[in-house]
Amino acid sequence: MVTVNRHYTKILIFVVCAIMGFMISMQLKSNRQAQTVSVQRAEDLSVRLQQVEADRNKLAAELEQYRTGKVSSTLKKEMDNLNAYAGLTALEGKGVVLTVDDSQQAVKPGENQNLYIIHDEDLLRVVNELRAAGAEAIAINDQRVTGRSEIRCVGPTVLVNETRLAAPFVIRAIGNPQTMESSLKLRGGVLDNFKFWGIKAEVAKSNKVQVPAASEHPSFEFAKVIPADRVQGTAAGSGKGGAAQ
Amino acid sequence: MIYVLLGLALGVALGIVTPGYIPKSYAPYFSVALMSGLDTVFGGLRAAMENRYENTVFLSGFFVNMLVAVFFCYAGTLLNIDFYLIVILVLGMRVFNNLAIIRRLYLEEKEKELERKEAEAGQDPNKL
Repeated sequence: MVTVNRHYTKILIFVVCAIMGFMISMQLKSNRQAQTVSVQRAEDLSVRLQQVEADRNKLAAELEQYRTGKVSSTLKKEMDNLNAYAGLTALEGKGVVLTVDDSQQAVKPGENQNLYIIHDEDLLRVVNELRAAGAEAIAINDQRVTGRSEIRCVGPTVLVNETRLAAPFVIRAIGNPQTMESSLKLRGGVLDNFKFWGIKAEVAKSNKVQVPAASEHPSFEFAKVIPADRVQGTAAGSGKGGAAQ
Repeated sequence: MIYVLLGLALGVALGIVTPGYIPKSYAPYFSVALMSGLDTVFGGLRAAMENRYENTVFLSGFFVNMLVAVFFCYAGTLLNIDFYLIVILVLGMRVFNNLAIIRRLYLEEKEKELERKEAEAGQDPNKL
């Protein structure tokens, strides 16, 4: 067929053909890319969807595992500990049981009868005293006093954990029985004060005081956890605290 | 022939390896350039078969045609006329034209060869 003998010509043809090949392949590539750009996008998205779904399933399985308690024993222990600190478990141990009841004395004429009954302030003082004496768990009439419990006056009753309680009050505290009893009975202390108005108070030391669990799971509506590595001094803390009322 | 195939293979490989794509706005220019290149190649092939192939003519044709085609195309976009369609049409016609001539020349060559062989075969008994 065609015969070109000169070496120079061969190289020229080689170069020209290379250019042609380059152009053809570039054109093909670009054309294919232009046509399939939307298809590629759809493919990418479906692949990512599959990945995300797989991740979700994995995490759901993990969560289920945690919920059913199939976790390492240390984690389980840690969780139990935290639950106990939060007051979510019933506790048992040495402690005192304090029973207080309204005064049975006859109200003297001209005296305020309110002074003869137990108020929220009295209970607050008792709880405060017990905590100062190192109480580890406190309950008033089967209402566990946690970090978020209120003790507050509502008419003739006292509100603890949004539950109305009436006299007589039974306050159970787990801790060192000796310390708690002495601090309650301090001269001029809480119980001394009660005696003055005839309010009955009995302290009983016990080796087996049972404190119930808080009935409600605490939840945060306003507060957000600040990661430990982000907390710097008090500025961040007070800012968040102010926002959370 | 081996140079043609090698060159094409090298070019295609380069094109595949080269990252990136031709932007859509440049696609007409590129297609026109490609078409003019094809036209020149077929023209060169035809010239070679007619035994009047010239290096300078082929090479200058290849590049000048390409540039002119692209320029035409560019002028068309400036004037808001789809010149590149016309360029591609004309170049395509030329490619077909050249192909037809190449085919005819090839067939003629084959026929001549056949005739020669027949003549040789016919002569053979007489030679003895």
